[in-house]
Amino acid sequence: MLDTISADSAQSAARLGWTGVVRFLHLTPRAFLPMRAAESITLVAGRGIEGDRYMIGSEGGFYSHKPEEGRQVTLFELETLVALKRDAGIALGPEEHRRNVTVEGVPLNHLVGRRFWLGETLLEATRLSIPCRHIEEITGKAIFDPLINRSGLNCKILQGGTVRVGDAVRNAA
Amino acid sequence: MKARPITTVKTVVAGIEAAGTGIKLFTLTDPDRWELPPFKPGAHIDLHLPNGLVRTYSLCNEPADNTRYVIAVKREADGRGGSRALHDDIRVGDVIGVSLPRGGLDPGAGISRHVFIAGGIGVTPFLSMARHLARTGEADFTLHLIVREEVPLSAHLTSLMKEGRVVVHRTSRTGRPDLAPLIGAAGPDTMVACCGPEGMTDDFERATAAWPAANVHVERFVAPPPVIDPDAKPFTLFLARSGAEIQVRAGQTMLAALQEGGVDVATSCCGGICGACKVGWIEGKPVHRDRILLPYERERYLMVCVAGSDAERLVLDL
Repeated sequence: MLDTISADSAQSAARLGWTGVVRFLHLTPRAFLPMRAAESITLVAGRGIEGDRYMIGSEGGFYSHKPEEGRQVTLFELETLVALKRDAGIALGPEEHRRNVTVEGVPLNHLVGRRFWLGETLLEATRLSIPCRHIEEITGKAIFDPLINRSGLNCKILQGGTVRVGDAVRNAA
Repeated sequence: MKARPITTVKTVVAGIEAAGTGIKLFTLTDPDRWELPPFKPGAHIDLHLPNGLVRTYSLCNEPADNTRYVIAVKREADGRGGSRALHDDIRVGDVIGVSLPRGGLDPGAGISRHVFIAGGIGVTPFLSMARHLARTGEADFTLHLIVREEVPLSAHLTSLMKEGRVVVHRTSRTGRPDLAPLIGAAGPDTMVACCGPEGMTDDFERATAAWPAANVHVERFVAPPPVIDPDAKPFTLFLARSGAEIQVRAGQTMLAALQEGGVDVATSCCGGICGACKVGWIEGKPVHRDRILLPYERERYLMVCVAGSDAERLVLDL
């Protein structure tokens, strides 16, 4: 069954699609420090976010000892925060999940291997983020299990630029 | 040198200030004055000193003051070396790694009255709580400060003393006070806490013996041994390739023991789901707690972030 499913679009008259929006932007210069909200952030192609711990060359992040090209910017779904509150009774703020961009209306888990526009910047999704115990230590909240398979998306920056709260997120296919 | 994971919050000594006989206040900040990880009133942090010592100190400032960690350190000439290193060797501009803050007042505990009993420099955890409670009005409090003669950190306590919220008892003049009347009657919305030398914490424990445990808190100058799961047992790792032997303390993870021993193991989630720290095992009785290895894989591999051992000896393919 599975081997008949391909990543190509289905042959159908129905148009598949989504459009999302950037709700929150956060960054921090070093591991463990609180994330600070920003109205706009600057993405540098092939490197990362200006001022963020995972900017290549900054080496200030918890995982900086394991450099990873595909972790230049990370995204998280606002819908997951809503679900955590609804299903697990855990209030987690957008400044607490430690990804940079909180989006609404973007099916992040569907985008691995695909390209999409985040405002004026072009990203390529490399892999799903994995929750880590580190985040429980920082937030003091038991969110490791509830975040499995929905802890965000790691991306490479193909085309840099400024991303602002309220920017549209669109498929680049 | 191989890159290692960052395990502490990087701080810089931004200020050192004398605060009474033998006491210095150290102000630690982020190198760029970024906000530091948040803390509760009365929380403490571990300082990873440049000489390798790790020592725990209470934060004296209040949580709203979120770009600094302020600690008060009394130089103990015959102590275990942490206060001497801080007083004698640490200068403004030095870099000190610190842990995330732990402990402190739980704002949701429904407490309306606090009684704090402090002996000398044991006032430090209560300074943060007192400042926080005085500012927010969340609960009523009295801080009884028992000293021989000189009040430590007096400049920081003056206004609270004037308001009568800090009551000083000088043993050189009036002897050791009886703690029971200071503490008063037990009640579900009253919390009593003590930090001081051993004799005082013993007196305090006797005075509060009939209190519900949840309403009594004791902090000692010398930390008691950590509470360990009674089922957790220490064991020894034998590393087949390097020939090294590494002790895993009861309650410690294999990963932490390996890292302490200088063995570089790839890690990521530290919760047994990502597979980054998979290591082969050769002999022993591993206890697998991961959620990723298949039964046949467990016959050869384990995840060092969560696995334990059911035998005293475990041989790893490292």
